[in-house]
Amino acid sequence: MLICEGLSKTYDTDRGPVAAIRGVDLTVNAGRYAAIIGRSGSGKSSLMAMIGGLSRPSAGCVKVAGTDLWSLGADARARFRARNIGYVFQFASLLPTLRALDNVALPLLLDGRGQGARERAAALLEEMGLGAHLDAFPSEMSAGEQRRVVIARALVGDPVLLLADEPTSDLDEETEREIMGLLERANRARGTTLVLVTHNLALAAQAEQVIQVADGAVAP
Amino acid sequence: MADASGARLLLARLALQNLGRRRIRTGLLVAAVALSSAIAFAGAVIMRSIESSMSVGFSRLGADLMVVPLDALTHLTAALLVVEPSDSTLPADLLATGKAPGIARAAPQRVLRTDRSGIGTHGESVDLIGFDPLDDFTVQPWITERLPGAMGPRDVIVGSARTARLGTELVLFGTPFRVYGKLSATGVGTHERGIFLSSNSLLALAPAIQTQTGTLPPMLRPDRVSGFLLQLAPGARELQVRFALLSHHPQIKVVAGGSLLTGIRQGLSALLSGAVVLVALMFGSTAVMVGVLFSAIVSERRAELGLLKAIGARRGQIIGLTVLEAMMATAAGGVFGVVAGALLLRLFERSLVFHLTQMGVPFLWLDRLDMALSAGLCLVAAALVGMVGAFIPSLRASRREPYDLVRGDG
Ligand SMILES: Nc1ncnc2c1ncn2[C@@H]1O[C@H](COP(=O)(O)OP(=O)(O)OP(=O)(O)O)[C@@H](O)[C@H]1O
Ligand SMILES: [Mg+2]
Repeated sequence: MLICEGLSKTYDTDRGPVAAIRGVDLTVNAGRYAAIIGRSGSGKSSLMAMIGGLSRPSAGCVKVAGTDLWSLGADARARFRARNIGYVFQFASLLPTLRALDNVALPLLLDGRGQGARERAAALLEEMGLGAHLDAFPSEMSAGEQRRVVIARALVGDPVLLLADEPTSDLDEETEREIMGLLERANRARGTTLVLVTHNLALAAQAEQVIQVADGAVAP
Repeated sequence: MADASGARLLLARLALQNLGRRRIRTGLLVAAVALSSAIAFAGAVIMRSIESSMSVGFSRLGADLMVVPLDALTHLTAALLVVEPSDSTLPADLLATGKAPGIARAAPQRVLRTDRSGIGTHGESVDLIGFDPLDDFTVQPWITERLPGAMGPRDVIVGSARTARLGTELVLFGTPFRVYGKLSATGVGTHERGIFLSSNSLLALAPAIQTQTGTLPPMLRPDRVSGFLLQLAPGARELQVRFALLSHHPQIKVVAGGSLLTGIRQGLSALLSGAVVLVALMFGSTAVMVGVLFSAIVSERRAELGLLKAIGARRGQIIGLTVLEAMMATAAGGVFGVVAGALLLRLFERSLVFHLTQMGVPFLWLDRLDMALSAGLCLVAAALVGMVGAFIPSLRASRREPYDLVRGDG
């Protein structure tokens, strides 16, 4: 399902090159729930960005459902992302000018799959317990509610791969449990492969597969 | 595909909403473009109106040179429309024999100033101007109203100050004439009250004039005229023609007036092309300003643009969103600009044009189609300014990897 081979990322900075990821190989089977753990600065986000087709690797390849992401052209990769990968970012990531419903429907609309997009978005928001907030702007919702909107958006295109980079680090424990519950339900009920980056070892313990990153490499 | 248009609609909505996020900034951008468009639109219309008015004016001013008897008085501001009345005359065939080279057209005129014509109360002095409708190129261009059909032997044309209506009867020395046409204001008082008729009709009045006045005015003899109006052939030099004329006919005076007008015409066309360059520069600098503004806007929003890319927006959509936002603002500026320009034109009409018309200088507005075309051109230019200005910043953003944009560095 997800295969990385010899994946490396080196950032060019003013103080010379910084090797954030060095030759990572990993495999996550379809429908699995994998957790990536590691200290701050170990390179987890850099790895996730390459896996998700958001940041070009310096070397190596990423295959999602058999497609070599980085051999695609930019627009084909964008389309692939829209159809196959859902993201939950580390930070607030809703468009402030759009209502919850439109934010969720956005990936389908951008991909030219507008037919029924809003109905689907509404159903997902209901599922996330946000039926009363369809018309709310992001600024009118709590952090936990916003995060649930983001999860709904990540799932709206029925992705095969769901990537979440520390989706709960800024939330209280109870909300964290709710959010994790939603992600795990997506993984179990929809069969979506879930890759989660977390600091929280207790959360990682719930995963079927734990990938430990240290200093840009995967620990055995 | 209905779905693709759905995506475009969404981008248009996003662009519009983005404009609404910073009302003051958007307002300033719209105002800046509106200012340029207003100046461009009003300027273009006024310039082109002046240009066409001038060219009409110049064609009306027809004559480059006037040939009159040596002792005739000349009135330079008469703009070489008609020969001044005087009792001195020239032979009618003066220019027929050995016609000087460099002359394109020569129009003979007979001008009689009389207070016995029978017009008005006793003693009204009237200039009767006899011209040859076929050779004439100075009188007929001034006609503003005329009856249908060609001018006949019993027809007269009256100056603008005369109140006689078209088609009414006018009796000259006992002979009834029909008011066939009316001249527009020439700015020369004697012409405003003049009565213009064909030379032959004027000559036909000679017996009646002789019985009424007791003498036969010299220009009413078939072989004499008051003078000639000349138009130079293209490329002919005024000085050479004048010299050639004077060397053959020592008894004449040659009056010029054209060179000044030619100078004005050349100066005006230089001014016009200068204005065109200025307008282009103005739009260019507005485009640069839009570019600066939008590279700031793009960097302010790079996290959002990165997010859009992450969830599937393609490069064209990123560029489209940003360029559309800029074009909406600048096109709106263009619309406001054209409206403001139209108000400026109204103001101009009430002030300067009004005075010009009062002074007898014709001012012809650009016709509606050309005016609409100018407005359309301004709108297109305004929209282009947004497109060109926002293109480079959005192109650069569209090339970045989503993760770099989202992280917000660089
Ligand atoms: N765009 C960049 N330019 C330069 N260096 C970078 C860039 N992004 C990340 N790095 C460096 O790469 C290393 C890995 O960063 P990364 O964000 O992947 O770590 P992380 O494991 O996600 O950390 P955290 O848990 O704090 O989110 C760090 O040393 C960081 O300074
Ligand atoms: Mg990170």
